Amino acid sequence: MNVTATDLHFADLAQGERAHLTRVEVVVDATGLTLRLPDGDETIWRWSDMRRVRDQADRRVMVLARKGDPVTRLYLADKSTQDYVTQNAKALGKRDQSTPLSKVALWAAGAVASVAAIIFLLVPLMASQLAEILPPEGEKALGDTTFEQIRTALSETGFEDQLRICDDPAGNEAMQAMYASLNPDADLPYDVQVHILDHPMVNAFALPGGRIVFFRGLIEEAQNPDEVAAVLAHEIGHVVNRDPTRDALRSAGSLGVLGLLFGDFAGGTIALFLANQLINASYSQAAETVADDYAHGLLEKANISPVALGTFFERLHEEHGDAEGLVAHLASHPQMTDRIAAAKAAVDLEREYDSILDDVSWLALQTACGGESNVTSDMQTPEKKAWPSTE
Amino acid sequence: MPPSFLSISYSGEKGPIFWLALRTSILTVLTLGFYRFWAKTRLRRYYWSAIRPGGAPLEYVGDPLEKLLGFLVAVVFMAFYIGIVNLILMYFSFALFNANYAAYGLSFLGLTPIIFFAQYRARRYILARTRWRGIRFGLEPGAWGYCWRAIIHWIVAICTLGLLWPLTTLWLEKYRVSRTYYGDQRFVQGGSKGLLFGAMKHVYYAVGLSAVASVMLALYENPSWLLMYLLTLPWLVYGLAYWRAESFKRMSETKELGDIRFTAAPRPWRIIGIYALGGLMLNIVMSGLFMIVFMLIALVGGTADLENIDVDVMEGAFTALLPAIVLVYFLLIVVTRAMTQAWITLPLAQHFAEVTKIVNTQNIAQIVQRDRDEFAEAEGFAEALDVGAAI
Repeated sequence: MNVTATDLHFADLAQGERAHLTRVEVVVDATGLTLRLPDGDETIWRWSDMRRVRDQADRRVMVLARKGDPVTRLYLADKSTQDYVTQNAKALGKRDQSTPLSKVALWAAGAVASVAAIIFLLVPLMASQLAEILPPEGEKALGDTTFEQIRTALSETGFEDQLRICDDPAGNEAMQAMYASLNPDADLPYDVQVHILDHPMVNAFALPGGRIVFFRGLIEEAQNPDEVAAVLAHEIGHVVNRDPTRDALRSAGSLGVLGLLFGDFAGGTIALFLANQLINASYSQAAETVADDYAHGLLEKANISPVALGTFFERLHEEHGDAEGLVAHLASHPQMTDRIAAAKAAVDLEREYDSILDDVSWLALQTACGGESNVTSDMQTPEKKAWPSTE
Repeated sequence: MPPSFLSISYSGEKGPIFWLALRTSILTVLTLGFYRFWAKTRLRRYYWSAIRPGGAPLEYVGDPLEKLLGFLVAVVFMAFYIGIVNLILMYFSFALFNANYAAYGLSFLGLTPIIFFAQYRARRYILARTRWRGIRFGLEPGAWGYCWRAIIHWIVAICTLGLLWPLTTLWLEKYRVSRTYYGDQRFVQGGSKGLLFGAMKHVYYAVGLSAVASVMLALYENPSWLLMYLLTLPWLVYGLAYWRAESFKRMSETKELGDIRFTAAPRPWRIIGIYALGGLMLNIVMSGLFMIVFMLIALVGGTADLENIDVDVMEGAFTALLPAIVLVYFLLIVVTRAMTQAWITLPLAQHFAEVTKIVNTQNIAQIVQRDRDEFAEAEGFAEALDVGAAI
């Protein structure tokens, strides 16, 4: 060690008793720093006990602390003594834990348990109860707000603020005819509005207050109108059970809690959004089965084969694998085979089923979002087939 | 002994704080926000140590694990409150008002008591972890008392359209400061009710003249009244800077710590200058970053054949680019934060520190140590609510 025993310098010592710094003599030797106080007392700071206080703004002064003594500080301004310290004190950067990790772990477990209990038990329970008693006007307002938010969020083109509603009259009439054939009005607390949105995602969902939204992608993927009708019946099932309202109230509760957890770090909203997606994906399973059962009944009444629900999901699953939207949401979950089986079981083999739309209406529905560029009011022009029905 | 004084020197620099803020923000993003306890502690250590009354730096001795623990404690309690209250408010907002802005408003109102509570607790934690010359600061418990007083004072200020804001500021400062200790010595915030009104005078002039101009404009429809805003808007900016400087000066000069007094002479133009320069720098750097990003996009995108773009390929490319877009988004946020620290927060702290003097310090060495305030909850509530726990 290149330590000279005769080195002598001064430093300031804060002893933590009075608001006063003591000027001390600092002597470097092999064991550490010897501090000579003005009254003649000496203390030895051993190299191994020395810690450096980090993140100090003044780079000319080294602030030293001693292991086991949270208050005393030595302000060392002399460069040569600082060099001795950095060379000899090997544990300068060591952090002495004052908060026991076991305590942190205990509260972390408590926090996780409390958040989980609230998000997975309390909030869903209350959301269910409240959804039942929310007046229809309130539900409608909730649905309107969500609908606009979804349209804004999904508009990625930059040419328009919101995702376009496909307002082709013939296409919407076809959708309406389909809805009329299913005739679920008796079960519903309010009118159902069905929208087709100009988006390639293979998806359809229900919103609070009786809005059902189809994406263009789903209608393109369907091989026949019965498959679209099956999805429509399924979504009506959600509306009847007020699942969307429950879901919206539930996310209002759980989003707040998640926001608490992640805090406001850059883009915290993204983490929030992802986490909430996960919660919602796991939530739907029981509700999906109920909606399926309802759909089977509705299709049966309208004399449409319920197998359409199963075959459509099955095909989407095979074609897309880990696809997006509805497929990911419904087709990939574990009871998929059960659901297909249930759909097949609901078929009455003796019976002669109808098709829900004639060919003309079906074409109108498929082209409800217009052709590529030559949108005309004449929807029956055959060469204007915009999408391949399957790959 | 003759009266003596201590001036405050400042040793913080833009470069080190920029890199410290940048590094810790990046780590915060990478850890989904959990590094924020360490980030905040490190930044505080730097900012505190930069302020050196009489040459001895302040020291922040908060422990990140302690902060994490406090946060977890707060989450256990707050999760319940936020989850359930958000849900119920959402319900009532849609049931009664058919809109969700009511829920946001009510949700915020429901939180205000906790926000004031949390702010006081955070201040108590921060002061308990601040030392100078080895002697601890401290704040007496009193969060609920602060909470209801703050609510009343804020209501009064809001009802008078902000005209009484100087009084609100002084009242709340008196409550806080008169419970603040340095060692065994208690601070006193003096000053009569009218103390701060003069500090607000330029804001009153500017707002008053703007009001006159608006009334005249409405009455006579003479567009030349619009020219008045050319005078009043810059005046308002000056007024706000003047308020910041003058209220600090007036409140500092009426603070007492035993026989110790304070003087301060902050300059409004300096404050405006710091914001102007900081804003300019931020703009230059952000525009530069945007240019670089656009050039990179152009380099990648320029190779594509624009005539024959396949929509599927486009979508594929978008999906592939998504991580890059997210990365750029985070980068911009993180750089903005670091630059704000370096160009606005630090210069402001420097200015206020350097213009402040501690006078009548001849008996300062008589001040003795106070006991450590354990305060296990730290600033957990403020952390969870994201209020008042800023640097």
